[in-house]
Amino acid sequence: MAEGLAGSVEESLPKRVAEPVHGGRVACHECDLLLSVGGLSEGERAVCPRCGFVVSSRSRNGLQRAMAFAVAAAVFLLLANIFPFLSLETKGLESEMTLPKSIIDLYESGYSTIATLVLAFILLIPALVMGLVTALAVPLALGKNRPWLQPSARFLYMLNTWSMAEVFIIGVIVSLVKIGQMATVIIGISFWAYAAFTICFTAAVSSLDRLEVWDEIERLSS
Amino acid sequence: MSDYSPGSAASQGLAGCHVCFKTSPAELHECPRCGAALHLRAHDSLQRTISLLITATILYIPANVLPIMTTVQMGNSIDSTILGGVILLVHHGSYPIAAVIFIASVLVPVSKLVCMTWLWWSVEKGHKTSHRERARLYRVTEFIGRWSMVDVFVVMILVALIQMGGLLQILPGNAAIAFAGVVIVTMLAAESFDPRLMWDKLGKEDEER
Repeated sequence: MAEGLAGSVEESLPKRVAEPVHGGRVACHECDLLLSVGGLSEGERAVCPRCGFVVSSRSRNGLQRAMAFAVAAAVFLLLANIFPFLSLETKGLESEMTLPKSIIDLYESGYSTIATLVLAFILLIPALVMGLVTALAVPLALGKNRPWLQPSARFLYMLNTWSMAEVFIIGVIVSLVKIGQMATVIIGISFWAYAAFTICFTAAVSSLDRLEVWDEIERLSS
Repeated sequence: MSDYSPGSAASQGLAGCHVCFKTSPAELHECPRCGAALHLRAHDSLQRTISLLITATILYIPANVLPIMTTVQMGNSIDSTILGGVILLVHHGSYPIAAVIFIASVLVPVSKLVCMTWLWWSVEKGHKTSHRERARLYRVTEFIGRWSMVDVFVVMILVALIQMGGLLQILPGNAAIAFAGVVIVTMLAAESFDPRLMWDKLGKEDEER
């Protein structure tokens, strides 16, 4: 959904059709048309005239927003790991789950593959992505060159597809309805914290414009 | 350079970086801005895509045949498959949840496999039409792929939450691993497919469209 929500935000921004130019500096990521997207101001997006791919979309105060949302996301993720996520009550029996404990339990019951995948998709990769967003947005907003800028940006755009926080939230809702038929499910603080994390995560990632990030890195390092 | 569409970076000997979008002469082999490997078109894109698609299709068989979870109730264990679970939900009248599971675990993976295979085939055969439609199809396919992971997460939550000792317990089945494999491998297939290949056969006559 990172890209999906970004898409809906972009829809609301005024659209500028990028111009095809001979010997252009940027090639469309999807159809390879040479483009000029210079002079895009905040709150505008540039679309490839041939295939419709959004080449660049600059949100207002993108770097500051990315930074703020990434920090908020980190706090929510921490909370999501401390408190109970869901608890269950049926016929006098109670059971409670927290995110780290449920993954450890899976691992200890011999389901190490599923445990590792879930750990990576819902906790490790999203946390790493937030760390990378912060590592990029802070120096770029301050206009400072840092040795980690280039590897961080490469790593960020590689990892981003593999973060499944929002898919997990849908999974939780489906499970709630499934279990809700046979027992009383109590939604814990961590569920809300994780939901808030998902929103901040998506907002942080979509506030960073990939083309702008790379243009800035190039400008600072030259 | 007539192998590429007019106006494209490749037709002018420039390679667009797949990481940072900057164009550089293809002879450099490495992007001067971000250090990523530079190719006019992704290396062996079609071969890699089709091999991953075949792998995903094969994995989809155990994902449906094997149990995705086992319910242990008072010593009796009942296995349930993905489709079995959907049918059970329909019998219980939970149509919305049955629909979510059916869409995420059956409709999305199958249509993603079909769409990616068709896109691969259209490039392989050098189709010259419906570029915009194919581009849109690729974008949708790439976007929806990850949503299939829902079912794996549902199993994980049920397993973690329903631990009532000997009374009632849920265990994950091997189909969960196979199914996670299907999702991961189709995502890799979409990533290794170079969408620029779809536009290379675009002739001058339909440039105005």
